[in-house]
Amino acid sequence: MSANRWFATGNFFSAYRDEQRIFTTHLDRAIFITFLAALFIWPLCFEVSSKYMLVLDNILIAMVAIIGLNLVTGFAGLISIGHAAFVGVGAYTLALLARTIGDSHVIITHAWPLMLLACGAMGAVFGGFVGLPALRLKHLYLAIATLSFQMIFQWTINFLPLFNQGQTIPVGRVFWFTGEVSRRDHYFFWYYVTLTIVVIFGLSVRNLLRTRYGRSLVAVRDNDRAADAMGMHPGLTKVYAFGLAGFFAGVAGGLHAYLYRGVGIESFMLHQSITYLAMAIVGGLGTLTGAFFGPAAIRLLDLQVENLVGWSAQFLPATMNLATALKPLTFGLVIVLFLMFEPRGIANWWRICRVYIKLWPFRY
Amino acid sequence: MRHQHVWMVPIMIVLGMVMALTPAAHAEVYKLALSLAITGPTSDAGNPYSKGVEDYIRYVNDTKLLKGDTVSCPIRDDQYQTDITKRNFEDFLADGIVLYLNYSTGSTLALKRDFEEEKIPVIPASFHAGNLEDSNYIFLPIATYSSQCIGLAEYIVANHKGDTPKVAMFIHPSAFGRGPVEDVQKAVAAGLKMDIVEVVEHGKDLDNTAMLQRLVSKQVRYVLSQTVQSPVATLLKDAQRLGLIAKQFGEEGKLTFLGAHYTGGNDLIELAGTAAEGYYWTTSYTLTSEPGEGTTFQLMLAKKYGRDDKTANSHNYTNGMMVAQLAVETIRRVKAKGEKVTRASLYNELNAMNGNNAYSPGNTVGPVTYSPTDHAGVDTLQIYSVKQGAFHSVGKPFIPAFVAKIKK
Repeated sequence: MSANRWFATGNFFSAYRDEQRIFTTHLDRAIFITFLAALFIWPLCFEVSSKYMLVLDNILIAMVAIIGLNLVTGFAGLISIGHAAFVGVGAYTLALLARTIGDSHVIITHAWPLMLLACGAMGAVFGGFVGLPALRLKHLYLAIATLSFQMIFQWTINFLPLFNQGQTIPVGRVFWFTGEVSRRDHYFFWYYVTLTIVVIFGLSVRNLLRTRYGRSLVAVRDNDRAADAMGMHPGLTKVYAFGLAGFFAGVAGGLHAYLYRGVGIESFMLHQSITYLAMAIVGGLGTLTGAFFGPAAIRLLDLQVENLVGWSAQFLPATMNLATALKPLTFGLVIVLFLMFEPRGIANWWRICRVYIKLWPFRY
Repeated sequence: MRHQHVWMVPIMIVLGMVMALTPAAHAEVYKLALSLAITGPTSDAGNPYSKGVEDYIRYVNDTKLLKGDTVSCPIRDDQYQTDITKRNFEDFLADGIVLYLNYSTGSTLALKRDFEEEKIPVIPASFHAGNLEDSNYIFLPIATYSSQCIGLAEYIVANHKGDTPKVAMFIHPSAFGRGPVEDVQKAVAAGLKMDIVEVVEHGKDLDNTAMLQRLVSKQVRYVLSQTVQSPVATLLKDAQRLGLIAKQFGEEGKLTFLGAHYTGGNDLIELAGTAAEGYYWTTSYTLTSEPGEGTTFQLMLAKKYGRDDKTANSHNYTNGMMVAQLAVETIRRVKAKGEKVTRASLYNELNAMNGNNAYSPGNTVGPVTYSPTDHAGVDTLQIYSVKQGAFHSVGKPFIPAFVAKIKK
């Protein structure tokens, strides 16, 4: 390890433990804490419209879900095309309870942190169950198995009266220490809750990856037979990767239900699963930072294309149809371009930037 | 002499400027907004609908229909996704809208609580009866899908010859499709003499042979559809291929097809071709295939703003136009009373739109009526049937009798 813990310009690890540190320098830690503080403080300093707070909340919820998807697909190498269904399991856990005991029942409105955990637990159960085929299946075959789960989920929700046949099931407003969270504060409240969860989950996964359980994910991804020979349990590792991903997805589903104050099937369809996968790819599979960059990039791209469409429609109302086609077009194009030219995602740009800054003013 | 009057020049200029600017200073901009599917699912209906709204609002502003005041109505594509609709709605609220135009059944149901909290009147393109449950601020422009299906069921019962007619319902697998089933069943329980043999939720099937043969084997004679045009077109084409389309209404051993608002229109004829002949359809709108005062205005409007023939003749264009007419008329009435145009005043004015205050936009088969207990606009329906490639009226406009009976 470098003698100067503030301004180390390279990696001079002298022990394996040094390499496993979350922050390699004090400067890294200071920047991270400052950035985190800024994320918590800025909404108090600037006025942000509900629309943009909703967008930010959405990005944060997607981050929670993508942390899970990245674990199973990025770190464990198990392709999951049904991630929206796992998110849906979490959301419908809350919705089902709301439908049974009433959407404004004290358990829903006051015990919401416990409810979020319950959503996560249900997601984990379903994740573990869907992960069982991973004991026998690999690659494309496993992807089809997760796709099947997505289809079964959609069918179940769409046809069972228990789930209101996919129509919106309302969820009540939550309470905080100051009383009921009003409509005015709703999006700010969920910004802080979701941000806190993102930070906790992010640090948890970072720590997990330092443990043997985390390393076994990567080992199984790289070569499960070799991992087996090294004494790891590939089957168990795969199932727990799915279970853990299901937990994160379930919590994301619970957050989604509370944010939108209702649950409908539209938000958990196959196209949403594809969007999640796209977020993970664009962000950078197999990297923790990728789980933050991906959702932000895709959601902001969506928003910018919408703004562009709105702007162009002012001048060219007759070509509105052509303009709105830009959205699916740009989405597809971004995925293809990333797959072709930067398969390691935005996280790789971030890595390059960090290395450059670390060595500056010397050449990279 | 000349010098004595020089000082008056700047005063005159200032006065002139003040006078010129005075009307502009008092001119109000009333903000409405529309979020709908211009792309994605159901965009075939959303597209002409948005143009109907856009054109009528432009017309109001161009012709100064509100005496110098103008209406602004931004239109946003939500791709039929509730999440995007909610975001659009929040943005519109921040912009200070006084009335909101929504689109899909799913998003209307999902945002119902927001509408209640914001106390904002909303006119959706969805005629789902469930929109009105536990809701005070949603106003449907025309009769609900349930009313439409009950109206068609009453038509079947009134015109069927022989025993109790056997009917199958062909519905969209969503709240939009399922909503009317229960109400038709209630009407049957309340005394409407027909048998609902089967309710079929369609998927994305490209072939309906087995289903059609099954219906015929169950002696079904009428298929009542509550979905969108494309599955109905596929159904009709398959029935034509199998020789199962009735040549006369209720022909024995054949099937007579009927459907609610979003199953019909020119798009259906375009998709199904000759298989659409003899298709029975109901809506509360007048059609350009039967020229009248309202349709002449519609065609003029579409021409004025450079719309193609397909859009100009679309019943969804009529639908969008009528919703914009309704919103503008409500604003006009509030203004005429000398009140400030706010969400509350528009809400009260909509609720007072009944009796002598009922509104006839010209492109509906009956007046728009609302009251605090009735938020379904045009109660009257017209049945149309395809003859020689165009929809034509069958009988007179009517109000389904069983709609009131099942409410009791």
